[in-house]
Parts: sequence; structure tokens; C-alpha cells
Amino acid sequence: MHNIAAIHDESKAQYYWVWGALLILTGIEVVLAYEQFFTPVHMLEVLMVLSLVKAALIIAYFMHLKFEIPLMRFMLMAAIVACLCIMCIFFADAVRVVKLGLP
Amino acid sequence: MASTEIIHAHAAPQGFIRKYIFSLDHKVIGLQYYFLALIAVFVGMGLSLLMRIHLIWPNANLPIFGAIKPETYLMFLTMHGTIMVFFVLTTAPQGGFGNYFLPIQIGAPDMAFPTLNMLSFWTTFVAFVVLVAAFFVGAPLHGWTGYAPLSAVPSAGPGEGLGADLWITSIAIFCAASLMGALNFITTVLDMRAKGMTMMRMPLTCWAWFITAILGLLAFGVLLAAGILLLMDRNLGTSFFVPGGLNFTGQTSFPTGGFSSSTDLIKHNGGSPLLWQHLFWFFGHPEVYIAILPGMGVASQLLSTFSRKPIFGYRAMVYAMLGIGILGFVVWGHHMFMSGMSPYTAFAFSIMTMAIGVPSAIKTFNWLGTLYQGRVRFHTPMLFAIGFVSLFVSGGLSGPFLAQPVLDIPLHDTYFVVGHFHLIMGVAAIFGIFAATYYWFPKMFGRMMSEGLGRWHFFLTLLGTYAIFMPMHYLGLAGQTRRYSEFTQVAYQTKLIPLQTFITYAAIVTISAQFIFLFNLFWSMAKGKKATDNPWEATTLEWTTATPPPHDNFGGRTPVVSHGPYEYSVPGAARDFVMQNDPATTPAH
Amino acid sequence: MAEAAVHHDVAGVYEPSLFGTYSKKIGMWLFLASDSVTFGALLFAYSYGRISNPSWPTPFGKESIINATIMTACLLSSSLTMVLGVLAAHRGDMAKVRNWLLATMFFGAAFIVLHAIEWSKLIHEGMTPFTNPWAPSVPQFGGTFFTLTGMHMLHVTIGVIYLGVVALRKKFLPVLVVLWLIGWLATPANNVFHLGVHVLLIGAVVSAMVMFLKPKIYDSHDIEVAGLYWHFVDLVWMFIFPLVYLMSTRI
Repeated sequence: MHNIAAIHDESKAQYYWVWGALLILTGIEVVLAYEQFFTPVHMLEVLMVLSLVKAALIIAYFMHLKFEIPLMRFMLMAAIVACLCIMCIFFADAVRVVKLGLP
Repeated sequence: MASTEIIHAHAAPQGFIRKYIFSLDHKVIGLQYYFLALIAVFVGMGLSLLMRIHLIWPNANLPIFGAIKPETYLMFLTMHGTIMVFFVLTTAPQGGFGNYFLPIQIGAPDMAFPTLNMLSFWTTFVAFVVLVAAFFVGAPLHGWTGYAPLSAVPSAGPGEGLGADLWITSIAIFCAASLMGALNFITTVLDMRAKGMTMMRMPLTCWAWFITAILGLLAFGVLLAAGILLLMDRNLGTSFFVPGGLNFTGQTSFPTGGFSSSTDLIKHNGGSPLLWQHLFWFFGHPEVYIAILPGMGVASQLLSTFSRKPIFGYRAMVYAMLGIGILGFVVWGHHMFMSGMSPYTAFAFSIMTMAIGVPSAIKTFNWLGTLYQGRVRFHTPMLFAIGFVSLFVSGGLSGPFLAQPVLDIPLHDTYFVVGHFHLIMGVAAIFGIFAATYYWFPKMFGRMMSEGLGRWHFFLTLLGTYAIFMPMHYLGLAGQTRRYSEFTQVAYQTKLIPLQTFITYAAIVTISAQFIFLFNLFWSMAKGKKATDNPWEATTLEWTTATPPPHDNFGGRTPVVSHGPYEYSVPGAARDFVMQNDPATTPAH
Repeated sequence: MAEAAVHHDVAGVYEPSLFGTYSKKIGMWLFLASDSVTFGALLFAYSYGRISNPSWPTPFGKESIINATIMTACLLSSSLTMVLGVLAAHRGDMAKVRNWLLATMFFGAAFIVLHAIEWSKLIHEGMTPFTNPWAPSVPQFGGTFFTLTGMHMLHVTIGVIYLGVVALRKKFLPVLVVLWLIGWLATPANNVFHLGVHVLLIGAVVSAMVMFLKPKIYDSHDIEVAGLYWHFVDLVWMFIFPLVYLMSTRI
């Protein structure tokens, strides 16, 4: 019932491609950051988007989540992403601390 | 009996240590958790009694403790909260009954990871020992919520040195233990259900334990992170939670012209106590549901069983529990209205908090719908299940009050909140534990508990808890502040002394009533009436196996399930209940 | 991870797993979910401190960034060797698996060593958990840096030990003890890693307990599960690297 030894349609070439993409994305991040192409806020946005792409590549290919069944993919990612997203509410307070000028 | 298959030889371990101490059997581990919680609950209850006595007679000279000092009162407060929340309300329903009955109810021979299960218990035990050790070096003053900066600066007060270190270490260890338990529970439910036990055929208790485990998995990780940061603040001098300009010397030398580099000021800067509150309550609010959800599951199971009716709205119950679980993660801010919060954020938290009323109401009405026109059998477990519903409603109704920032601000630091959360999170969850104890005792120990003593225990406890916690709402509305050790010194609160005295007497009576339970528990283990395999005529799988269950739960067989969990009074059936593993029948019509 | 009690190969006795895979993998995924929330909370605490302290220092110059980029490349390459190891395990080529795992451990160890050098340099420049030479009014800079990267380094170290146990089993114990001794003797007594290297000793004791109490041959499932953990460590670094290093490059 569990197709345990499932050989996914995986090949070495695919992993090398993903590895290359990750290295290139890292290179882009470093160059962008080092040359200060954007203002810090935009820089943060760009870096986060690139990092999310890298994370998605790692999760999907290296961690094989792409080859798991949809329910597992959806449940795990929804739980983690939702949990991390709602923590963004913290920032409302962090900004308020700055505005109030507390020590 | 349905067809079953022999799948494995799970040899029972020999020798006392492997069998009872470092046992891998989920049933033994469940009992270990249960008795750990039993010890913890009596410690916590003793502390509450001391606090009640101190409140009314602040100068009383007690036998062992002498006259309780204000800081000792706060230490009792901290330890009462921590022990009760972590080592009773989290441990007993989930670690105790969940461990014992989740695998049996879904037809599995054990948990998915038996070794991890054992590690989880022993880690919890270590956490408890570390926490109790804090007593002997002076327990911290900061309450179970451990608000910074009081908890983050060792020089902040008595007990905030080594005691607070032990406290936060204990909590971090407990987090690790709970994470191990949670992932074990989830994997067990996902992977080890017997043939035919689809998700929608699981008893609601299993659903409750499952959802509780998910909450624990996602919430305890955050507390672990917060605990690490707090330990760093305390021992490495970082300033995550400590703002600058604080002075803990007790002198009022606060600089008039802004912040000076006075040596009185602690050497921290730029941290935010609100960050601790966010991290703590991000865990803390799901924790409330971790405590109450298993109680809801047990209440659903028992109301259906003893009303001899299917549970009203099984799917609605499942979705309501899921909804409570999800909403539980987005409402933590309602604990922080008083700490200062952007009105927009407060508004969002307020709406979300009140939205929890919807699934809670669905559950309540479904429980009432289950009772309606049932042929109710008033055994002790049923009494406690009904008591649970009653307490859940009484405690829950004050929730929407506190959910509104405008009402919460005057009420937050008063006894209103004490009454609210004790009713709903404390006593209701404890009633769930009592109901589960009376219900499953025959399966666990092979004997029945005494009905007469059980009834006495129930009525004394129900009336006692209402007598304790209902007046607290009034006290809160009258402006009585919580956490004060000697409110008798506060002029405007002195006219509330009679009511407080009444509460203390009620507490003494209620606490005495718990010894009836303790006696009943141990007396019935030795002398109770022998129980049959299915004394309550219930339908779920634990009642199909021997009493007490053999080492691998079903004697080498695995049941095949062909019925839902609550098929009572089915028209055309031979008995008024259909066991889950009875052979499938074609519908009569 | 303990042995699963149910053998799912016996068809028809249990319902199919809801996640369609074996227990150990689900267990590891759930652990990673909780661990990602822990790391998430730490990163949010860092971001909170950063937002509420506008004068956050940006001290990382060319040398630090190049070093961190090499570290990132090490981790990414270790993920590649890991996934190739898992592939080899699926194909049953256990000799190849061991070589790939050893390569993964090599990259992981290189990451730790590079990071340790980086830490020592920063500490030498005067950065501590409670102060830093660039912005003394923002003590959070050092605190968050050491907390985040320290937690991550701990995870990498555990990962290397985990992989070592899976790859070499009992033969790994002497290797680990030798590594501990080298690390202990090679670091000066006032260096933080003189103390930190004892993690290896604790790791050796724990893995010895695991291997002697539950001896077993690790199969392709164990390697896949170990791989999940390793990739997660890599994944976390993909967020720590830009947030901690790249957002603090010297202007």
C-alpha cells in the first residue's frame, strides 16, 4: 500500500540543475546586496523573494515534497506558512516602539 | 467479531524496569503521565489553599510555613500556575489519557514511535523535577506568564536569580518533551488507523487529541525559542526583552533629566518586554486549547454514550474543533490589550476572539442536541461530562466580555479574569480529566470506581467550584485587583473581605472533596467491583479488547472497523449499540 | 527516531497513511515543522529588535561577505551530495551512499569551521552578546547574531553527527572523539569554541547510547529521513544568510 521504494521520476541531472540554480540565486543576492542596488526596505523585499524561491526549490526537489501526495504537501506547507505569516503581527508593535520613542 | 489478522509478535518485556519504569508500552507511559499529573495537581492545589488562606488572614501563623510573606505569596502564585498549566492540564488529558487510549481507539498496537514516547515522558519528568527544585532555592515571582523584564533580570527581586533560571529551564525542557509527544500523536493518527477506521470514523476523543497535538507541535516551538532568548537575557547579558533605563535597586533615584549612566541602572538597552509577551502568548493562547480540547472530546464521547444516542452533528463537531484550533493561533493579542497595543491590531484580535464563540457555540448546542430526548444514564462519568458542559458555558460566556478591549482594560487586572480562566481552562479541563478517569478506570484497572463516592465527589466539586469562581466575577467588577498579596491593606477593597472569606471556605471544602476522589481511586483499584470488558455498553474499540488490555492491545489481532463511533439506538440492531468492529450490515431498509 | 511499531508492508491490516508515506518520514517532517516555527520565532525576534532599533549597525565588509558566501555554497553543495546519497540509497548502492554522506559531512564540517573562524574574528573585534564596537547603543546586534547563527551552527553540528552515525555507525565514535580532542586542543583556552567543542563529546555519548541500545542497519528510509533534516538545516541558512549578513553589509 505504501509505495515505499518509489523511484520518483528523479535523475541526477535534475539535482545538478537545482543546485546550479541555487548557487546562481545566491550569487545574485550577494551582488545585489553588496552593490546596494536598492534602498534597504526594497532590498529586504527582493532578498526575501529570492530566498523564498530558494527555499521552495530546496523543499520541492531536495526534500522531495514535490513527489509526495497533495494532502501532505498542502497540510505541511499551509501549517508552517500560516504560522510564520501570523507572526508578522509582531511588527506592528515593533514600529510602534519606534514611533513612541521608548528607550 | 470481525475478521482479524495476526500481524506481529510484540513480545511483552520482562523485568520490572523494562515493564514499569522505562517501558515502551503506551499504556504504561499513559499511566506514568497520569500519576505524575496526580502528584502535580495535589502540589498545585496545596499552593492554592495556602494562597487563599494568606489572602484572608495575611498574618496567620501557619504550621510549617509560618507567616507567609508577600514575596512568598507571589512564589506560590508562580508555582501554582506553572504546575497546573504545564504539568496537569497539558500532561493529564493529552499525555495520560491520550497516550493510553488513542492507539487503542484507532486500533493500533502502540504509538508510532514507542521509544520517543518513553523519552517524552521522562523528559517531562525531568522538567517537573527541575521546576520543583526551584522551590528550594526560592521560586520566581513573575507568575506563570513570566513577563519580562521582571523575569529577565536576575537582580529584579527575590527568587529571580537561580529560581527563575530553573523555572525557565524547566519550561524549555517541557517544550522539548511536548514536541516529542505531539509529533508522535500526529504520526500515530495519520499512519496507524486500523482497517476501516477512516478519519471520519474516529471517535471525537481521537480527533481532540489529534488537533491538540497539532496545536502543541506549532505552539511549543515558539515557547522554546522564547525560553532560549530569555535564558540568554538572564545569563549572557543580551537585551531581547529588557529596555534601557531600568532600576531594580529599590531606590527612587530615577534620573530627572533623562537617562543617565547611573550605576543603579541595569546594563541593558533597547529590548522590548512586549516581544516576550508576543512570543509567550503566541504559545499561550493555543495552550489554553491544548488544555480544553481533550476535555471537549471526552465530553462528546460520554454524552453520546450515556444518552444512548449518536453524537449530534459529528462532522460539525470535528470542524468546530478544527476551527477552534485554527482561530486559537490568531487571538493571542487579547492577552495584551492592557500592555499597550495599536488600536487597529486590538480591533483585529478582538474580532477574531469573538469569532471563537461560533465554533464553541456549535459544540455546546451539539452537546445539548445529543442530550435532548436521550435515555440518559446518570453514572458518575456522565455527571462530570455534564458538569464540563456547564462549566464550559459559564466560563465561556465571560470570554466575549474580555475579548473587547474597551471592557478588557478595566477588567483585565481584576479577579474577573481569574474567575474566567479558572472556570473555563482550569476547572472545566479538570472536569474533563475526572470524567475520563471515571469512564476509563474500568478499562485501565479492571475494576469499577465507587458510584456513591463518585456522586459525592461530583456534587461537592461542582457546587464548590461555582462557589469559588462565580463570586470572583463580582469581585472583579467591584474593582478587586488580582495578584495582590495583602488586599486587606487596601482601603477600598476591605468591604470585599466577606466575599473573599466565603471563597476561602468554599475552597477548603472543595479541596477536601478531592480527597474523596483520591480515596475512591486507590480504594477501587484494590477493592472495587470487578469490571466487565464493556461496562458502559460503549461502541469504541477500547471496549472490544480484554480488561486491562494486553501488551499489544488486541492480542496480536488488529480489529477491522465497519461502523462509525457513535452508533447507539440504531433501528433494527440487536442491541441498542453497535460496536465499531461489529460486522458490517446492509441497511435494513 | 525510534523504530516504527507498525510494518506497513502487511497490506490490508491498516488504513493507508493519510500522508501516503511511512511513519518515520512523517515524524521527521513534523519535527521540522516545529523546528521551523522555532527558527521562525527567533528570526521574528531578530526582526523585531531590528525594527525597533533604527540605528542598527551594518559592519560586514567584503571579507565577511565573501566568507559567508563560501559558507552558503558549502551548505548548498552539501545538500546536493546529500540528495545524491539518497538517490543512491534508493538504488541500493550502499557503498556509494557512504561516500556521498561523507562528502556531505565534509561540506558541513567546512561550514562549521569557516563559521567558527568568522565568529572568532568578530569576537576579536569586540563583538559580544551584549555589545558591539559599531553601535554600542544597539546591544541587540551581537545578541541576535550569536543566537541565530549559534542555534544554526548547533543544528549543523547535530546534523553532521547524525549523518556520521548513519554512514559509519559504530566506527564513527572514535572519529568523533578524535575530532573533539583536536578541536579542544587546537582552540586557545579563551576561545568560545574551546567550550563549544564539547558538543561533540555530548554528541558522541548520545550517539553511543543510541547505537548500543538500539543497534540496527540503517536502510534507505533512514538515509532519506536524515537527508530531510540536513536539507532543512540548509533551508534555514537560506533565510539567516540574507537577513543577518546581506542586510548588514557595510555601506
